[in-house]
Amino acid sequence: MADSRAVIKKTLLGSIALLFLLLLAVLYKKYNPLESAFFPACPFRSLTGLLCPGCGSQRAIHHLLNFDIAGAFRENMLLVIAIPYLIAGWVIELIPRPGAVLLKWRKIFYGPRAIFFILFVIITYWILRNIL
Amino acid sequence: MKKYFYTDGTGNFGPFTLEELRDENLARETPVWFHELGEWKSAGSIPELTELFKMTPPPPPGSTPVTPGVPKFDFNQKPPKSWLLESVLATVLCCLPFGIIGIVYASKVENRFFSGDLEGAVRASRNAETWTYVSFFTGLVAFVVSMGIAFAVMQSHGRFPGCY
Repeated sequence: MADSRAVIKKTLLGSIALLFLLLLAVLYKKYNPLESAFFPACPFRSLTGLLCPGCGSQRAIHHLLNFDIAGAFRENMLLVIAIPYLIAGWVIELIPRPGAVLLKWRKIFYGPRAIFFILFVIITYWILRNIL
Repeated sequence: MKKYFYTDGTGNFGPFTLEELRDENLARETPVWFHELGEWKSAGSIPELTELFKMTPPPPPGSTPVTPGVPKFDFNQKPPKSWLLESVLATVLCCLPFGIIGIVYASKVENRFFSGDLEGAVRASRNAETWTYVSFFTGLVAFVVSMGIAFAVMQSHGRFPGCY
């Protein structure tokens, strides 16, 4: 009984999340956040006037949903690069009993050194986009 | 949420929630570990796990139970969830400080795991999870509030602000 209730709860929550995502996708495809006021503004930018590593990601998503990869790249290069990386990571996470080879690759791309590299990339991007 | 690990004597598996543990076909003798437990104990001796064995008959009378040795730490297993991906997503979607904190905890998970500190890795994993939820709900609230303000303005102006 507890099992079926958990499954129902999971399915319900999953469907709500999916619906919400779809709604977001439609919104972000239709409206360019640059021209509409109903998208949240970046708090870091509002406070400091400086760009954060995530600034432009809403516009980038708008361009991506309209298949304008170059436009998305101009708004937030990090987001465009991150998407395939994240998808690959989640696919690897979904594999229940990864073998030694997969674990080796996982460690290379998502392990301790990779995380340092990611932090380095994010901070470099953060600084560069404010001074260039 | 409580996360369980179990071992077959050579490799460790986990973390699993109680729900997920149901599908792992544990035996009463399987050594199980979770944070509060401190050391490996057989699954049959942990009260909340006894319901997993309702359908398995107890060992036949007269048989000697298998006593597993101290489990060896095995690097050929998946580290605890580092929440790296979710934290990177939060960072590039501008939930700024929380995403970066998440990445720092992800790095702790991986470093501790690969230096053999499974327990520390699990602790860092739980912190990373918390920060992921903080990012997610901050983002959600920011989005809903921003939408709410826009709709309120639209009510008084008769059109979406900024939409021509």
